[in-house]
Amino acid sequence: MYRYDEFDSALVRERIAEFSDQVDRRSRGELTEDEFKPLRLMNGVYLQLHAYMARIAIPYGVMNSRQMRRLAHVARTYDKGYGHFTTRTNIQFNWPALQDLPAILSDLADVEMHAIQTSGNCVRNVTTDVLAGVADDEIEDPRPWCEIIRQWSTIHPEFSFLPRKFKIAVIGAEKDRAAIRTHDVGLQIVRGRDGQAAFRVFVGGGQGRLPHIAQEIASEVPGRSLLAYLTAILRAYNLLGRRDNIHKARIKILVAAVGLDAFREEVERQFAVLSQEDLRVPDEELTRIKAYFAPPPFAELPAQSAAHDAARRLNPEFARFVRINVRSHRQPGYAAVVISLKPTGGVPGDITADQMEVVADLARLWSFDEVRASYEQNLVLPHVRLDDLHAVWTRLREAGLATPNADLATDIIACPGLDYCTLANARSIPVAQALSRQFADLDLQERLGPLRINISGCINACGHHHVGHIGVLGVDRKGEEYYQITVGGSPDEQAALGEIVGRSLPSEEVAPAVARALDRYLEVRLTGETFIDTVRRLGADPFRTAIYEPIDAAA
Amino acid sequence: MKLLTANRLNDGRVIYLGEADQVVETIDAAYPLDADAAQAALAQAQSRPAVFVNPYLIEVEGRTPSGRDRLKESIRSLGPSVGHSLDFAARSETA
Repeated sequence: MYRYDEFDSALVRERIAEFSDQVDRRSRGELTEDEFKPLRLMNGVYLQLHAYMARIAIPYGVMNSRQMRRLAHVARTYDKGYGHFTTRTNIQFNWPALQDLPAILSDLADVEMHAIQTSGNCVRNVTTDVLAGVADDEIEDPRPWCEIIRQWSTIHPEFSFLPRKFKIAVIGAEKDRAAIRTHDVGLQIVRGRDGQAAFRVFVGGGQGRLPHIAQEIASEVPGRSLLAYLTAILRAYNLLGRRDNIHKARIKILVAAVGLDAFREEVERQFAVLSQEDLRVPDEELTRIKAYFAPPPFAELPAQSAAHDAARRLNPEFARFVRINVRSHRQPGYAAVVISLKPTGGVPGDITADQMEVVADLARLWSFDEVRASYEQNLVLPHVRLDDLHAVWTRLREAGLATPNADLATDIIACPGLDYCTLANARSIPVAQALSRQFADLDLQERLGPLRINISGCINACGHHHVGHIGVLGVDRKGEEYYQITVGGSPDEQAALGEIVGRSLPSEEVAPAVARALDRYLEVRLTGETFIDTVRRLGADPFRTAIYEPIDAAA
Repeated sequence: MKLLTANRLNDGRVIYLGEADQVVETIDAAYPLDADAAQAALAQAQSRPAVFVNPYLIEVEGRTPSGRDRLKESIRSLGPSVGHSLDFAARSETA
């Protein structure tokens, strides 16, 4: 993984010193809250319902054991002993005191972590495929490009005060495991005509109040021109994007308003006048950065492991974990392990300090000192020997981290909702817990197959409900929590927005309603057909009927 | 009646205005205010930025939040209704 150079270290330390001074001045009353708010937000600090919240960046989701251990230290020392992984692959601490924030950031800087650009109208944490460098369908590892974008966008003077926040995701394969079409800019590595990496570029995606699926603006931007092309997009957005209405300030609104062709013309006009050479990543720098992401020193192993196969035969619980949470690896004899942060009845994305330390140990011992955060609010050990899977599973199980539900019904993505968030209209976590208990039966979950349920506590859509196969959106109806259900959303290469199937339901009716929709799916699916494929074939009507028929009959 | 609430500057915790301008941490200790007193209290809280961050008034019946934001204010007064924060509180009590 990437290591800080002297510029990175100096930049982070200077920022902490600056923020420490700002905190002191705020504490002494020399700064008002209105003056302090934009300064704290630039350092990832929000003021939520019950306390300050610190959001820490995990660039493209990659951490080492030392970093994970330090997060545990922060959780234990300055918070209530836990943290919350987000859909931007960041981690949030919900209870830090104002005066502790500089110390938290300093402790994190010791392990090359920071909170820069985790808030504000700037380029946010770049996300990528959690299986980068692992999946065998990859044209090229996207992480070096994420790192290049990170360096380019960090405290970029021209793009630090954009009309709104700006999110970029990069993938290296046709299969989209990073939801790039829901981003302001999505980048897909393709093989260019010259045989080098090039980028298919999508622009204008986003969720929130006015959701849009990103559109393809360029089919093959050469790698050497990537930063120039991104600069052209951001410059066009910075100049033309609305600043008069926060709800219409994202690039998706601009692209929809002027049309893709007109926006492309503006980007190409900007691109033509940019100093290309100044924005070209020097070959030696690209080589240097790529070296940080070189494959770890894998052993030469057979593709099969007799010990692993025997463990699976002997232990059905382990066999289920392997079936559901283990992903194939391009390196023979290795696999990637999804650590679900979605225990039955738990809080999606939450992890205790003790659990963080277990994960850190496992990463150090059995995954080349690497662990990753996924946008699905889980963790991944990317490089585990098949021979070691049983030992890893045993430790995970002891720590309450071996729930075999990756990509199944209870692997629910949910925002913190009204239990923590000032923007929320309704709680998300209790609904996620009710759904988790509703589908706790592991055999049922396996029978239902791949299924993503997403829950947001307000229209800002931090829980990505628009692109959930089943989406749940909390709404406020005269002070009461109600939930709108959507069906048919998809975050992947067939990205789609879900269709609202009817009027909103009270909290206690959501889990039974979803259960009826899934019962209907089991009745109508073709052999081997996933839920989302069934919705694509039949539309939302069968599920709408299943959800509302009993309610309407009882009314 | 109304209560005055805010977040506390140094730790962000939910606070209320209690009797005799005391800052209190529980809604049960908050001081109910009629309309005129509420406006005066709000102005006074706004003049104490070293304590009160974003002070505002909430509607209550007794000391129970009422009005449109009653759920949000109930959660603010009681803490998160679910999750690790509760586990933490339980561990702290048994420690």
